[in-house]
Amino acid sequence: MAREDDAQQAVPNTPGMRTDGHGVTRRRPLRERHVEETVEVGVPVRTAYNQWTQFKTFPRFSAVVHDVEQIRPAMTAWTVGYGPLRHRFAVEIVEQDPDAYLAWRGLEQNPSHQGEVEFRPTESGGTAITVRMLLEPRGAARALTRSSRAVRLTARLVRGELVNFKRFIEGLGQEGGAWRGTIRNGRVQHDRPEPPRSRVAQWPVG
Amino acid sequence: MQNPPGEEPKTTLSVTPPKKWAAGVPAVVHALEYSLEQTSPRKTGVDLLTMNQVGGIDCPGCAWADPAPGRRHRNEYCENGAKHINDEATTRRITADFFREHSVSDLAARSDMWLNQQGRLTEPMIKRPGSDHYEPVGWNEALGLLARELRALASPDEAVFYTSGRASNEAAFVLQLFARAFGTNNLPDCSNMCHESSGFALSETLGTGKGTVSLDDLHHADLIFLVGQNPGSNHPRQLSALEEAKRNGGRIVAVNPLPEAGLRRFKNPQKPRGVVGRGTQIADRFLHIKPGGDLALFQALNRLLLEAEDARPGTVLDHDFIDAHTSGFEEFTRHVRTVDWDDVRTATGLTREEIEKVRDEVLGSERVIVCWAMGITQHKHGVPTIREIVNFLMLRGNLGRAGTGACPVRGHSNVQGDRTMGIWEQMPDTFLDALQEEFGFDPPRPHGLDSVDSIKAMREGRVKVFLALAGNFVRAAPDSEVTEEAMRSCRLTAHISTKLNRSHTVCGDTALILPTLGRTERDVQADGEQFVTVENSMSEVHTSQGRLEPASPLLLSEVAILCRLARHTLDGKADIPWAAFEGDYGTIRDRISRVVPGFHDFNARVTRPGGFQLPNPVNEGVFNNKVGKALFTCNESVVPRAPEGHLLLQTLRSHDQWNTVPYTNDDRYRGIHGSRHVVLVNPADMAELGLTQGDHVDLVSIWADGTERRAEDFEIVPYPAAKGSAAAYYPETNVLVPLDSVADISNQPTSKGIVVRLEPTPDRTQPAPA
Repeated sequence: MAREDDAQQAVPNTPGMRTDGHGVTRRRPLRERHVEETVEVGVPVRTAYNQWTQFKTFPRFSAVVHDVEQIRPAMTAWTVGYGPLRHRFAVEIVEQDPDAYLAWRGLEQNPSHQGEVEFRPTESGGTAITVRMLLEPRGAARALTRSSRAVRLTARLVRGELVNFKRFIEGLGQEGGAWRGTIRNGRVQHDRPEPPRSRVAQWPVG
Repeated sequence: MQNPPGEEPKTTLSVTPPKKWAAGVPAVVHALEYSLEQTSPRKTGVDLLTMNQVGGIDCPGCAWADPAPGRRHRNEYCENGAKHINDEATTRRITADFFREHSVSDLAARSDMWLNQQGRLTEPMIKRPGSDHYEPVGWNEALGLLARELRALASPDEAVFYTSGRASNEAAFVLQLFARAFGTNNLPDCSNMCHESSGFALSETLGTGKGTVSLDDLHHADLIFLVGQNPGSNHPRQLSALEEAKRNGGRIVAVNPLPEAGLRRFKNPQKPRGVVGRGTQIADRFLHIKPGGDLALFQALNRLLLEAEDARPGTVLDHDFIDAHTSGFEEFTRHVRTVDWDDVRTATGLTREEIEKVRDEVLGSERVIVCWAMGITQHKHGVPTIREIVNFLMLRGNLGRAGTGACPVRGHSNVQGDRTMGIWEQMPDTFLDALQEEFGFDPPRPHGLDSVDSIKAMREGRVKVFLALAGNFVRAAPDSEVTEEAMRSCRLTAHISTKLNRSHTVCGDTALILPTLGRTERDVQADGEQFVTVENSMSEVHTSQGRLEPASPLLLSEVAILCRLARHTLDGKADIPWAAFEGDYGTIRDRISRVVPGFHDFNARVTRPGGFQLPNPVNEGVFNNKVGKALFTCNESVVPRAPEGHLLLQTLRSHDQWNTVPYTNDDRYRGIHGSRHVVLVNPADMAELGLTQGDHVDLVSIWADGTERRAEDFEIVPYPAAKGSAAAYYPETNVLVPLDSVADISNQPTSKGIVVRLEPTPDRTQPAPA
């Protein structure tokens, strides 16, 4: 679980690279990617990050996200769509560092995708948010997403969503909630013996 | 709608080849046929269209989870659920005339099916000492008598309060509160007989008594093991989840002594491919294992995984997880490397090559789930087997990540919730302290009696009053003759029931039938219409609310009966607002929210569409066991053996059956029609034993106490049961399960591993020779 002073930790300014407290590089940016988009928002990193972790609120600003189920901290299900079309897919959060980074991958085999979002403080006191995504569809969809047009479309979509988020959080001014946990390899880490969500009945269930 | 049968239906056995697929159009037809036999088209429609829907009725059948709101089918139920719910919603009624016509002795000679088919109980009944008939009794007299008997006991521990998995969270919480305020922890439940081994093994190793997966995990697993379970008949809606997993590219390994239809192929009647197509293949690989060989299988798999890591260091095991989150790894590796392949072969009946192919499946899978049911838990070594499954999951970090985990599949709709509410004879001090703080009385601390020990205590005269909240204890329990003797030795037995069953006919000196509302019915109390809540197998807590008018105006809800009994019995002894509880179940939930961890804001959260999910600590990176880490364990190898000329018997349900209640004498997936008195035997074993199809045999079980336990007159049916094993229907063969034959640690009856011999049935129409 993240410490409360995480936001004060030095966050390297190199996109996709970050060193944890033990000097170990935990991750690398997606080497292959279809899209990479960055937007700067006028709120502190902590505010931007905290709001981002409130996945259920994505439909409030997104043009394509209709519903998000938070199955548990490292697993969500997203319903996206345009017009009458809807598609639901489950997503595993693979890595998550408070105020810095979040990486995910879709659990569907086709189309498959993965992505990451990075939060960096800017000199003006705002936050640079970078989203990278890689689509790995199979079959006929594979040919479609290889086309430059599809890549441009995806990039435009991601950029549009980032701009929507920017307007949303700047308009709100402060986050509506926060999840400050850490995730490594798809598993929630914790720094307290009994974090609040673990306080459930522990006796045997026959 | 048809009238109840006057006499036992006369049917004869016919056998057809076992089915190779489950569900499909026949499931719809059979469900509707049975439903319309029992009730009207309107009631059938109301029940089925609100079943498992948001704001509707939770299926009183199995505990399988519902899809998220918005993702549910209009018909979100299975054949067995439809039968179950309309079996409850039947228009048939049992009145005082019925009991005048039928003595208790007469009823005790009837079959389970006949008793169930008579319809709903409609008014309180009493069998007084010395009488052989039930007669009507008013609620006040019935509850007053029960209260007087309880108060007259020399100790509160002379009473036992049993709970079935149908009871709601509210009723379960009220029952345990009443029992503890009365002064005893004697709270046995049906969990003692179904997944107790799972609870003990998971608590010890992972620090949680519950499974760790959700439906979305199953949908996205790369590899799913189905071990010792028969989803086609016992959890049919699981097949939909398995189908989705398959369509997402997942693979399935089924491990079972019988090649059940539901393990082979599923025709989803809600999809065109299930109606006109071939459906979905379920198991990609089927391991035809001997009963009780699962421990050896997982030990062998674990050894193979360690050897694969030796060959390619750093590529097989999840060292990050093992190093950071587990304890006991080194000792475990030393132990499991000693597993003997000859023992594995003998225990499982599987070749090393078969097991190596499964290892390869595991190595090719990033996300693995193991599901299991009573084929695992009901063995003497049920707890070690589940511990070994946990070892298997931990080796490759298949815990706490999406698409991974442990999935004990529970069999009754609120069996998990009842335990969460405190129905357990060994509740920890933390729970009892919370009760004390909330209600101001000091709950008893010594552990109480579980199901097996309750039977022993009744038999020995240490328990004199038995109260059951739902269920059919006499038929669900092992060692039928011993259990019946125990029940008959009670001073008073009382059952809160919707329908007649054998537990009403095998009773104490005084017996009470306390008829109650079913799940399908409106529950109107002083504060208005009520709903109840339940918790499914995946820890989702949600509401259940019936729509039908009650079967009788004289019915009380389970909560009302228990609250009134508490008022009669405790007479103001504890400052508990029983009347307020009865009038508004929300007041009970308020108390639950302050006593049971994880239930904060219970009333607010449970009324959201779909309710809420209780977190699982394992998925939060927390292991709340003694060592604070996931625990590798060393489990002694077990090779189940039957002596020469004997077989290992497993008891099981038919497809046309709910727990102890058969709906018909058919089991169409297994090709058995017209009789339940059959024993399924491998043809090779038949040849060795000199048996042929159609032979009639008595099943005689072998046990250390030397007592002969005999199930008479079963017809031999050749069947692809694992070599050396046999299978026969529950509850008819419970008589063969010795009361002392229990799982180590969990004390759960070993109904899946009974050593039996098959003796030709003597001609019982002739007098025995002098």
